[in-house]
Amino acid sequence: MDLLENYKKAWENQPEENNKFSAVEIYKMAKSRSSSIVKWIFIIGILEFVLLNSLYFVFDMDSAYAEYEKLGLMNFVYCTQILAYIILFYFLGMFYINYKSISTVDSTKKLMKKIVKTRKTVRNYVLFNLGYMALLMFTVMIAEINFNFEDLNIKQILLIILLTFVITLVFLGVLWLFYQLLYGILLKKLYKNHIELAKLDSINS
Amino acid sequence: MQKDLETKFLLDFETNQNIAHKICRVYTTNQSDHNDLFQEITIQLWKNYPKFRGDAKFSTWMYRVALNTAISLYRKSTRTVKTQDISDFAYKIKSTDYDDTEEIQLKALYKAIHKLNDIDKALIFLYLEDKPYKEISETLGISSVNARVKMNRAKEKLKNILNP
Repeated sequence: MDLLENYKKAWENQPEENNKFSAVEIYKMAKSRSSSIVKWIFIIGILEFVLLNSLYFVFDMDSAYAEYEKLGLMNFVYCTQILAYIILFYFLGMFYINYKSISTVDSTKKLMKKIVKTRKTVRNYVLFNLGYMALLMFTVMIAEINFNFEDLNIKQILLIILLTFVITLVFLGVLWLFYQLLYGILLKKLYKNHIELAKLDSINS
Repeated sequence: MQKDLETKFLLDFETNQNIAHKICRVYTTNQSDHNDLFQEITIQLWKNYPKFRGDAKFSTWMYRVALNTAISLYRKSTRTVKTQDISDFAYKIKSTDYDDTEEIQLKALYKAIHKLNDIDKALIFLYLEDKPYKEISETLGISSVNARVKMNRAKEKLKNILNP
């Protein structure tokens, strides 16, 4: 007889759990709050949307607007901001739809795909935001150089470009690392299992 | 209506809860994690129960939701757990009419299963529960050919752990 068949018999004969829960205990559990990965993705996702948007309130926007006005960038800023809000609502909508479509009734593979998709929506939003910030910084830089062109020598212009580059890179880099770490910890297990499942699917397809 | 549904759910789940306990034993190695996962499974079952149409058996439906919760939603990973933690794991298999060799086999089996990855755990669990390949492939969302291939590999891995 196959080795595993023996163990299977032991498995089949294993007694029922001693610590069974009563209907009242089950009721309480059913009503308690989920602490699943999906729930965390949702909370973190919402936090990201809120945090990235509240950056505008943290910084002194009045002086920034005065600077934009001086540089003649007002139209550009308005247009990109309207666009940014449209995109924000698009991402929020997608995020919500993806989140809602996650169901444990799906097959394991489908469920994992949906979780990854939901997370990717937030990642894309963060990428978009980082890109937007970088674009804004470089636009201001170019406008600034353009505005003060007569007073600046080549050395100073190069220094401004270099500084803007470094500051943007460091700022975006730190944000990106933090973000990777957060999701890395949260989704390490899921990714591992996803790969494991995908691995077996590529065997015969 | 809501009240009826709740009562029905509690009745269904209370009688089938052993399935969830077995999955918890496969995916966790101590009592507190066991209860933690059991609670998450309960939440997920309850959340999805209104959509459960009853065209499948409650237990069949439960296997899927509970396994999905263990594999994809539950955050803790058992593979980082040291083996000695298993000693404080409450198998509670002290029963008078229970054969001693089978008790030892069962302990060894759980210990070996804990060394498998999450997907292999699911495959082995479904094999031990005598589930047909059709159901296994549908639960995991893979073709039945792949389910067979993967099952054979998982069984080989398990055999090697049990009998090195």
